[in-house]
Amino acid sequence: MNSPAGDGVFLRAEGVSKLYRDGRVEALVDVSLQVARGEYLAVMGPSGSGKSTLLNILGALDRPTRGEVYFQGQALGAMKSLDRYRAEKLGFVFQSFHLLPTLTAIQNVQVPMFEIRLSARQRAQRAAELLEWVGMGHRSGHVPAELSVGERQRVAIARALANRPSLLLADEPTGNLDTKTAAGIFDLFERLHAEQGMTIILVTHDPNLAARAQRIVRMQDGRMVREA
Amino acid sequence: MRFATLILANLRRRPMRSALTVSGVAVAVMAVVALVGIARSFENTLLAIYQSRGVDLVVVRAGGVQRLGSVLDEKLADRVRQLPGVARVSPALAEVVSFEKLDLFGVLVRGLPLDSFILDDVAVVAGRRLAPGDKRAVMLGTVIAKNLGAGVGQTIEVVPGKPCEVVGLFQSHNLFEDGSIIMPLDELQDLMDRKGEVTALMVIADDKTKAGLDALGAQIASLAPQTEVLRTRDYIETAIEVRLARAVAWLTSTIALMVGTIGMINTMLTAVFERTRELAILRAIGWRKWRVMKLILWESIVLGLGGAVAGTLLAIVITQALSRLPQAGRLVSGEISWGVILQGFLIATLVGLMGGLFPALRAARLVPTEGLRHE
Repeated sequence: MNSPAGDGVFLRAEGVSKLYRDGRVEALVDVSLQVARGEYLAVMGPSGSGKSTLLNILGALDRPTRGEVYFQGQALGAMKSLDRYRAEKLGFVFQSFHLLPTLTAIQNVQVPMFEIRLSARQRAQRAAELLEWVGMGHRSGHVPAELSVGERQRVAIARALANRPSLLLADEPTGNLDTKTAAGIFDLFERLHAEQGMTIILVTHDPNLAARAQRIVRMQDGRMVREA
Repeated sequence: MRFATLILANLRRRPMRSALTVSGVAVAVMAVVALVGIARSFENTLLAIYQSRGVDLVVVRAGGVQRLGSVLDEKLADRVRQLPGVARVSPALAEVVSFEKLDLFGVLVRGLPLDSFILDDVAVVAGRRLAPGDKRAVMLGTVIAKNLGAGVGQTIEVVPGKPCEVVGLFQSHNLFEDGSIIMPLDELQDLMDRKGEVTALMVIADDKTKAGLDALGAQIASLAPQTEVLRTRDYIETAIEVRLARAVAWLTSTIALMVGTIGMINTMLTAVFERTRELAILRAIGWRKWRVMKLILWESIVLGLGGAVAGTLLAIVITQALSRLPQAGRLVSGEISWGVILQGFLIATLVGLMGGLFPALRAARLVPTEGLRHE
């Protein structure tokens, strides 16, 4: 997946607005953003500033009221299947991990793989490799309730990488973690970025963590206020 | 991990709810398998009485729905016997009596001429056959003899106040027949005050092709007005008792299907609501709507099939138990055919599919972001 088609920008949001309740609530107002392949970007802002809404729209979990998002030059609105875009191109990491409680770590990592063509054996093997990579190989048989919050987030990151995405979207991934555990998670993001050239968009309100990204975008009241 | 692992993991996390839902379906399937099974075996047993003797045609009074209510002139038998193409004819008078003190209702008493071919197949296991000149004499099938607690030499009151001597016990390997009483035709006519009357004529034809039987049937029907000639299978299948049994069985199946489906919808909807966030996550990480639907549908189908297995086992236990009861044992053989079991599984699968469909659609319609907010 090299040389993006179209305008050459990896991910581009153009004049994106999101209105709720018949337009009376403006969650996002005319936001434009360009992300290059392999870039590590942090989106900062207070609660309710629209940063999560922006992330959801970039991740095709939500559609903008106005404007459009282009992935490798292709408009998301013109894609046949946004499910497929999410399944094959994106990895999501959530603040609350969102692992399935009944499944073990290694089973959780395999859940997204049902959307791509892999045999049961290939799924298990790839999941084991990913758990090893996030440092959770020794905990693969445990269900989330038996794992610490930091361990759960590592498993969730392995799951986000299950289908070898080209873009990782993380919404406050360390919001529920203490500083030390959070640092471990950020090390993982940095390794992903450095070793695999992963494009990462990270939403956070922690300036220390945001500082580790290559570029910071700030949001306020649904508008992009500054690009640092 | 296989998809099935995911389905089973979801079902296991609410063991009580899963077990109760399975039980609900099981009761429905049990009712279907037991009732349809009993109805079928009743029908087959009835049919076997005629088919085992090679009876091709049954002659009855036209227009009667209740087969036992049919009345024919006994003399018609002789006229039929003289038709070309008729091998054998036997008239029969059927009556239903009850022995209220013993809690036995609906016992069949058949009056047959002593030379009837029906009696050829009846094996005497104790005492003797009915003989010319026997007055107030009966033969008992082994099952009814056991139910009545009567043996050879004892008397029973087929009609209150008119004791009849048991001259022999017979066995015919037909449950229905073994639960019946046989008397000389003229004796039963006398006892029931139905001189010269019979219920039906059983005819064995020489030519058993459809055309041959149709032609013979038309000839017989023309002998007397108000006479109807039926093929043996039609005779059984159109009998009101068989139709009622079938209707009850179908009604039960329909009710079972509805009740099972409603219960399943309830269970699966609760599961979908409870797992809103989880299902939204699946959508967020790229699962297509169809896969989320498939997950919910399979969960309900597996619950339905679990119910089918449990229900079939229950039905087998129940029919076996019924066949051992004196009141029901004369009618219920305790055998359940594969066809009936298949019907039970089909209904359970339908319950799973129909009960899971609405919840599955509901799950597929979840908007990922809405679900993610649901914490």
